[in-house]
Amino acid sequence: MTIEFIWQLPTSGDGRYSHADVTRRGERATPGHVPFTDGVSDPRGDRFNYFDYLHQVARAADITDFDGVLVPHDLEGDESWIVAGYLARGTRHVRLIAGFDAGWGSAVYAAKNAVSFQRATNGRFAWQIVQGHDAATRRRHADNVPDADVLARIDEFVTVARGVQTTAPYDFKGRFFEVQGGGFRGPLGGNPLPPVYLGGASEEAFALSARQADVHVLDAAPVDELRPHIARLQELASAQGRTLAIGLRIDVLAREDAAEARCDADLYWSQTRQDRASGERRTLVGSYDDVEQHLADYAAAGISSFVLGATPHLEEAWRFGEHLLPRLRARLAQDRQAA
Amino acid sequence: MTIDIFWRIPTHGEPSSHRSRTPHRGDWFPGNDNLRNASVAGGNGGFSYLDYIAEIAHAAEISGFQGGLIPSFPMTDEPWVISSLLARETSTFRFMIPFQPGFLNPVVAARMTASLQRATGGRALYNVITGGGGPSQLWWGDAAGHDDRYTRTTEFLDIVRGVWRGGSFSYQGKFYQVEDAGLAHPLSVQDFPEIYFSGSSDAALASASKHADYYLTWLEPFEQLREKFAKVKEKTDKLGRKIKCAVRVDIVARATEEEAWAEVAKGFANTDKATLDAFLGIDGSDSVGAARQRGNRPTTVNSYKDLIVEPNIWSGFNLLRGGQTQGIVGSYEQVAQRLDDLVQLGADAFILASTPHLEEAYRVGEEVLPLVRGQGSKQLLRAVG
Repeated sequence: MTIEFIWQLPTSGDGRYSHADVTRRGERATPGHVPFTDGVSDPRGDRFNYFDYLHQVARAADITDFDGVLVPHDLEGDESWIVAGYLARGTRHVRLIAGFDAGWGSAVYAAKNAVSFQRATNGRFAWQIVQGHDAATRRRHADNVPDADVLARIDEFVTVARGVQTTAPYDFKGRFFEVQGGGFRGPLGGNPLPPVYLGGASEEAFALSARQADVHVLDAAPVDELRPHIARLQELASAQGRTLAIGLRIDVLAREDAAEARCDADLYWSQTRQDRASGERRTLVGSYDDVEQHLADYAAAGISSFVLGATPHLEEAWRFGEHLLPRLRARLAQDRQAA
Repeated sequence: MTIDIFWRIPTHGEPSSHRSRTPHRGDWFPGNDNLRNASVAGGNGGFSYLDYIAEIAHAAEISGFQGGLIPSFPMTDEPWVISSLLARETSTFRFMIPFQPGFLNPVVAARMTASLQRATGGRALYNVITGGGGPSQLWWGDAAGHDDRYTRTTEFLDIVRGVWRGGSFSYQGKFYQVEDAGLAHPLSVQDFPEIYFSGSSDAALASASKHADYYLTWLEPFEQLREKFAKVKEKTDKLGRKIKCAVRVDIVARATEEEAWAEVAKGFANTDKATLDAFLGIDGSDSVGAARQRGNRPTTVNSYKDLIVEPNIWSGFNLLRGGQTQGIVGSYEQVAQRLDDLVQLGADAFILASTPHLEEAYRVGEEVLPLVRGQGSKQLLRAVG
């Protein structure tokens, strides 16, 4: 199985010292904020904004040969489909993964929008359908589905979206979606389906992924903790006669030597007011050699999709792309041959 | 006051002229499900239809159009996607996005719109449509009935407006409920999109009066339009709001009237019997606007001339390509004059279209738009009268 490396885009802000609340790149973080002193003229005005910066991060991932970028589901940030579209024509080969929840709207409309993406990007669009937040947050976003139905709705959403993309005429009547005489024809039919990334830690989420997902993305944890989950996911998928790729969402903080990495990690966690224990759980900290080894261990345990992130996302995309991607790809190819 | 003139993006395929449906640009045209090559010669240069659409958008902004309507049909690419794809490579082009409120969660739609405003510097606007109804509505996965759909449209726009400036907005509707909703900064400081609203029924007019900036209609007989505009403006006045009116119209403009009609005559001559029969028949839609256009149509047609319903108005445009029936045919001066006539009876904006949309954007932008006086024509009339 090929291993893919995805870079997560910072849709809700990014900055050199992780103080995105002050130094949101490309635009004024707070209205009226003037970054320069009175003594220096600022030619930018409001001609640039954060989209210009996100474009540059996506280009960094594209140029340095990442396999994809994830535009995360972020209720407080820019909407992921619009961001993915904005980035599509400036990038050449990266997969564009838009994160959203199944309360987005009609599954037919989502599928139809996805087909337009596929046609315009030569099939580079993908979906990360998240379970989202608690019921109160959903109600703030005009979504009244109860907790117990969140997974069931994702299940139907994927079924209907795939149905109209692959079958015409297509009929469906479920609890959340209904279609009669549906299905895409002509140039809209037969396009590559957006690969579906799902997640979640429950047995129900695992079972859903076994039926519907192309990739199940696990949250960061030590490799030994993940092994039983990976085994369970693979077991459930093979019971369905399907293959399921397992992904890992993890941050990286890699430097030339381990001491430098440790120093920068402590600084970052203190700036972002995170305690070290949770930071360490979420982040691979170490020298390039260390991080390479950790990632190779995850790959050996069955992870084949790495969703990575680091702050600031532009500089760190270049760093990871230059220093780690080439050696990781060589290493993983070697490990596969040995196995 | 000035009028706004938009162009149309032919998401529904593009023949190379009005004369014939083939050959064509892009990968789709009516009645053929199998064409897949976007390159004109059928080769594969790695282009998609979007590459051609991008050229039309560039032509429209170079030629002085406000932007373009990006129609959405079951066989077309979707305007939200097209707008986001072209956001970065256009400068002034405004993206008029038709969509049916029932297809999107209203808070998601608000976030999408605010993001698009950020990506484009405020160049997004809506064409809110409420669905042709009948079986086609269930193709889209929408089971709501006709008048219910307008209630839903009103509720949807209530919520998009309610959450737009941030804060804490709650709403209990029949279709939508939100609690303490509001866009986050910096999404919450964007301009609200102008709303062009389509629909001809009483339910549509009621909803339009509440939310629309522009009431958008196809071209209809001029006197019928005058009444319609007066009615919608009167309804809106009662609510203490002002609404403008916009007309969507296909045109064939040439240096002389003879040339323009010759173009139409060639297109009509190439129309096959099946297309003509379908044109004379009835479709299954419950759209009132479609019925209003159908009512003006003769029952037998032997010549393109049988479809001339008033001076420079031809009602056979959907024989040449899908869409509305009536459009303007004439010299550059005549087409500009007919547009000014529409301004005098209440139009404040136009969405124009002509095939092929790339070359015609330049022709219309260079030859017709400079002749349109717009609101100036009203003042002139008053000064004379």
